Amino acid sequence: MQWTTLAVTTAASSLAFATQYLSVEQAQHVMFPDATAFKDASLQLSTEQMRQVEKLSGLPARSVSWRVFAAYRGDMALGFVVLDDVIGKFELISYAVALNPDASVRQVEILTYRESHGFEIRSPAWRKQFAGKTAQAGLEIGEGIANISGATLSCTHVTDGVRRIAAIAQLVLKR
Amino acid sequence: MKRRAQPWLGTLVEITIADALGDAELVSCFGDAFASVAEVHRLMSFHDPASDVSRINQAEVGQSVEIHAHTCEVIRCALSMAAATRGIFDVSCAPKLVEWGYLPMLAGDLPEHVPGRCALVLQDGNRIRKTRAAWIDLGGIAKGYAVDLAIASLQRSGIQSACVNAGGDLRAFGDTAYAVAIRHPAYPNALALQTQLRDQALATSGTYFSRKCIDDRECSALVNGADGHAITASFSASIRAPTCMVADALTKLVMASADPRHPLLEQFGATALIM
Repeated sequence: MQWTTLAVTTAASSLAFATQYLSVEQAQHVMFPDATAFKDASLQLSTEQMRQVEKLSGLPARSVSWRVFAAYRGDMALGFVVLDDVIGKFELISYAVALNPDASVRQVEILTYRESHGFEIRSPAWRKQFAGKTAQAGLEIGEGIANISGATLSCTHVTDGVRRIAAIAQLVLKR
Repeated sequence: MKRRAQPWLGTLVEITIADALGDAELVSCFGDAFASVAEVHRLMSFHDPASDVSRINQAEVGQSVEIHAHTCEVIRCALSMAAATRGIFDVSCAPKLVEWGYLPMLAGDLPEHVPGRCALVLQDGNRIRKTRAAWIDLGGIAKGYAVDLAIASLQRSGIQSACVNAGGDLRAFGDTAYAVAIRHPAYPNALALQTQLRDQALATSGTYFSRKCIDDRECSALVNGADGHAITASFSASIRAPTCMVADALTKLVMASADPRHPLLEQFGATALIM
């Protein structure tokens, strides 16, 4: 049980990296394994709908446009997958929320986790380079991809995002 | 290696499975492991009024509350840690965290945190009662327990090697040595150390994400239960131990004592590193 370290760096090495857990397609199939088709059901919220989302979720509606897929097994509607991104102090998280037809949250999966310097994360130009692209593998150390150990990084922005999406689903998607 | 991550316990929980398995089998193994984490989240959330923690917090003094066996197990360990660390580890510090804005205010009056005075008594049949007004928060130990449960689930599924990481508290089992990078406490966006984890748990605590100033006083989300003060040390403490729950709890001891060779560590089969 020794602390045999591979390297102790005195000059801090940047943790700028990206880990892709699931592509959009993989996430769809993980969350709805029985689905035979995913149809684009992307939506644009009206001003009134945005106001209702804010009232229901207690959060700003934030975006007019939302990427949504409807999951089907044959003709049977299984639910929905909604995609979203949230920005933290130095992390950018892409995630997907699976919802049942009654708008209840079924599952949440992280698609990509990206860490970089705060100034990059906040820069729309920096973020734009990732739109639609597959992330490279995560931080590689030695033979493998590293796990990070540190004080807990709070993900309330993801939890808030899920709550917002649940409200949108309740108001706009629910059958 | 297959990796997936879901948000639970206020952070991201990442599971890595080394075994080469088919898609359907992976979905099942990941699903069961995340489900065990989800259960800990449901039972021990400070924010969810239906959780065991909330029901304990809202209970009257002396009222016997029935809790889940998992919650019982975690509180049993917490009480043992509190005794062993002479009150440094203390799950009844929630009123301090509420006062400093790390946890939301609950209904009722803010209880007084009394250092060194245990407020909880476990009873037969998974029951618990408070001996005085108190609010508990299991944030300093529940993540570690959730990791241990997820590991047990993966082992039950027949997985040969996997690693579970709940917001920086992790545990690995099997023949693989998992590469771990530890955040630099002064530059959390950078790594200070690279190491390997094999058949062991590793937990890290530090104040760098929670430190703030209130009324000209520094505070953090790490409370020294022995005196009720915030730990504002700028170093971080990483503990290796056989289980993640123990590693998680012991980080608080090392953060408070600043002693990486504290005699208690050996008793729990743990070693520590301060950075």
